[in-house]
Amino acid sequence: MDTLLEILNSHFLLRNALHGGLIIGIVAPLVGIYLLARRMVFLGVALPQISTAGVAAAFVWHTYFHGHQSRDVSDFMLALVGSTILTFAVILGLALLERRGRGLGEGRIGMLYAIAGAVTILLLASDRVTEIGVLGLLKGEIIAIPDIELLILFLGYGAILILLTVFHKELVLVTVDREMAISLGKHVLVWDMLLFGIIGVAISLGVLVVGPLVMFGFLIVPPLIAGRLAIGMRNVSIVAAVVGAGVALAGFAFAYRLDWPTGPTDVALAGVVLALVAVGQAVRALASRIAVQ
Amino acid sequence: MAEAIVTLQDVALGYDGIPVLEGLTVDVHAGNFIALLGPNGCGKSTILKGMAGIIQPLHGRIRCVLNGQPVRFGYVPQREAIEMVFPLTVFQVALMGTYGRVGPGRPVTHVEREQVQACLADVGMGDLGRKLFTSLSGGQRQRVLIARALAAGPDLLLLDEPLSGIDLGAAKIIMELITRLHQDRGLTTVMVSHHLKALREREAVREVVWVHEGKLLRGPVATMLAPDMVFRMMDAEIG
Repeated sequence: MDTLLEILNSHFLLRNALHGGLIIGIVAPLVGIYLLARRMVFLGVALPQISTAGVAAAFVWHTYFHGHQSRDVSDFMLALVGSTILTFAVILGLALLERRGRGLGEGRIGMLYAIAGAVTILLLASDRVTEIGVLGLLKGEIIAIPDIELLILFLGYGAILILLTVFHKELVLVTVDREMAISLGKHVLVWDMLLFGIIGVAISLGVLVVGPLVMFGFLIVPPLIAGRLAIGMRNVSIVAAVVGAGVALAGFAFAYRLDWPTGPTDVALAGVVLALVAVGQAVRALASRIAVQ
Repeated sequence: MAEAIVTLQDVALGYDGIPVLEGLTVDVHAGNFIALLGPNGCGKSTILKGMAGIIQPLHGRIRCVLNGQPVRFGYVPQREAIEMVFPLTVFQVALMGTYGRVGPGRPVTHVEREQVQACLADVGMGDLGRKLFTSLSGGQRQRVLIARALAAGPDLLLLDEPLSGIDLGAAKIIMELITRLHQDRGLTTVMVSHHLKALREREAVREVVWVHEGKLLRGPVATMLAPDMVFRMMDAEIG
């Protein structure tokens, strides 16, 4: 309790890290619901990894051409550019292949995941300074987030939240039943591009703050928990966001108290919550079966 | 004769630029009820998708106009095509029918919600609005999908195998429902089906179009569903 009061104090030193985690904890699950609904969970694993490769590539590129000393842009902006360019390039490429009728093949996404992982490691091996920075990202060490980075995250995720809310019905329709959407005169390509754009921004921004593992965890686990607890799209969205925020807050408190890395603590905690909910439901089902007999 | 609301003129339909059907010329008049029949894989669903604008013709022209306005479709896809992962309730699924006339960013109004509730009641699902769509039986899901199509306020109801994969009792209820909607609302209907018995029993079905070896053969129910005709049309499947 003392830890919780300490981290919620407005003068808490690491408050930006907490706020960053909370923003991602609330919004990422809402994006993750669409990844689950479109059966694109594997893409949710691959894109953060690809985004990380983009970060590493941007750092190495800058070091190669400008050296470490002459960096005239912040690490965050450099990482954001690298992450965004590679993430969107891959999304665009996959969307084009899908439109040509070649499907969103799992093999293709798996190959991209493996290559992105390998390229990230090779880039890190070639540049010691980049290695230190990106390793922190890979570990999910959410410690210090400058005000400007938190502001960019807030604006980016705020825009995502607004778009998901305002265009909820269109995004649901093209996700659930594309054919019906076309028969109703909807431009599915436009709505697909918007959804993929939202996924791209969410991942490329989120990876910079919490790293690929935690990003994937927040995208997928809270919606899975919410899907077990609520019925109806609105209820599931609310529960997923509340679970994401709760995990981000409790995970941060545990990590601060026990001196663990925040990101992995968040994901492990989300896994524990999912397991508890699943066990609770199984016990309840068993109890009701026994009661009927 | 009533106005033709859908006209296909020398149309070729297919996927990835490869035609499945060519030289199709057919029209659907307002108030008609047409059953589209043929062996598996002959292209019945492809024709339905062409009419609904889901696939564009590779050649020729498809005109869908009623009283100078674009035709509003109530499309009921094959039930298996909607494998819902979203945890949508019955009401939320039916509500999708209104999304065509509610502009992007606009919320669905109270009046439209009431219309959707009326559509659900019309198909006998009015009390199940809060249930999870995926928890329903095959026949119940089919009725919800029909309610969703009705919520679009359609001029033309397009049903793709609404009786497949459901038991005989449920199929009878669905067929009675479709017949009632056609008769009570004067709803123009095109239905893909394999259930010849169900079609023969319904006087509402006015015409049958057989899709056979890439050609369309059209005529009244009595002629087109005569045993020798059925045998001839289905030989590809039997043989």
